[in-house]
Amino acid sequence: MERSLKGDRHAFETLLVKYERPVYNAAYRMLHNPDDARDVTQTVFLKVYEHLDQYDPARRFFSWVYRITLNESINWLKKSSRQATLEQDTADQGSGPRQQAGQAQIGEGIQAALMTIKSEYRAVIVLKHVLGCSYSEISEVLDIPVKKVKSRLYTARQLLQERLTEQGLH
Amino acid sequence: MAIDPKYVELINADIDGEISSADRAAFEAFIADSPEAQALHAELSAVHASLDSLPELDSPPHLKHTIMASIPEQNEGARSTPGAFLQTLFAAPALRYTAVFAAGSVLTLSLVSSDIVSQGAFDDMTGLVGTISDQIPQGPSIQTTPIESKDIAGTVTLHSSGPILIVDFDLVSSGPVDIVASYVDKKVWFNGFAQLESPGVSVSAESGRITMQIDGKRRYALYLHNAGDRDITIHLQFTSNGEAVYDTDIEYVQPGHSG
Repeated sequence: MERSLKGDRHAFETLLVKYERPVYNAAYRMLHNPDDARDVTQTVFLKVYEHLDQYDPARRFFSWVYRITLNESINWLKKSSRQATLEQDTADQGSGPRQQAGQAQIGEGIQAALMTIKSEYRAVIVLKHVLGCSYSEISEVLDIPVKKVKSRLYTARQLLQERLTEQGLH
Repeated sequence: MAIDPKYVELINADIDGEISSADRAAFEAFIADSPEAQALHAELSAVHASLDSLPELDSPPHLKHTIMASIPEQNEGARSTPGAFLQTLFAAPALRYTAVFAAGSVLTLSLVSSDIVSQGAFDDMTGLVGTISDQIPQGPSIQTTPIESKDIAGTVTLHSSGPILIVDFDLVSSGPVDIVASYVDKKVWFNGFAQLESPGVSVSAESGRITMQIDGKRRYALYLHNAGDRDITIHLQFTSNGEAVYDTDIEYVQPGHSG
């Protein structure tokens, strides 16, 4: 970490190896598009490299990286106005026989349901279930109190439960 | 009957494995006597399990290399230089070609000697300075060819704009790679080469043969003058350390000739 802060490319590559996959997965779950997730992942690491001198060592590195990831994903959604389209797409998919055939489609159904909730709720779900963060870690990444983390998670899950029921997946 | 918010929080904490030992006894006593709480616990547990079942995805091949090739070569001193900043802009996928070129001065146009470049071709080239994105048609490309090998990856896309054929290279290499674009039609000539200002890219051209060398992530365009709107096949040969690592053909067929 210290070597990366000094601009050591090899050290930065080590960080990249460690965080590339979780960052890509988080971006994908936020965006539901592999090309967008790839582009956001690239942007995240370029920003990390460019702003390493602004990293506060008092905070844990992952929380900084994940925060950039979620912010970039949300910015991407805003810029590309994909969210409205995705919401329409997922609403169109609805329930039906296709949704009930196989684990892969169940996964798609869950992802589709995820895309129907607000990005602030999706972010806590991604942090908890994709990145495996605890309440306190989510609090650190999003810079919100733990109590708010809990309430957002609860609301997000209730919304997802409704969507999954509508899709016949629960 | 609504469940006391305190116990809703404990139900969530239990599902998330974050319930404290101090709260556990109270939680278990409550849920044992509350069918509503049991139902909520079951519903939320099912959602939790569904979300945990989402598969972990592999990141795209070459992504790490693409990122590494995009960051400045030097340490933090380089990070603050305009060149490093522009290089990062170039790498930022959201900006792509258009935004970068809109910055104007970041573009350099490399005209290289060719034994058959005409004055007319030069006139065309001056119009391309700083407006490459405009010169690449916004409509569908004629052909996009993926390049995939351990030494080089990316895409080569062919566009047409009037008499100009534009070969748009978006590539990343793991080291120096020579690219030879060759074609046999003597009435199609090399019209120019455009790239971002960046080290490690060179180009030379002779009749029917254009040689480029890249190292790292690069995006650039070759311009071919095809005044007669002729069908043309361009052979691309990629070489690393003297060994052929990939080759492919891209083809332009004038409208009405295909099929």
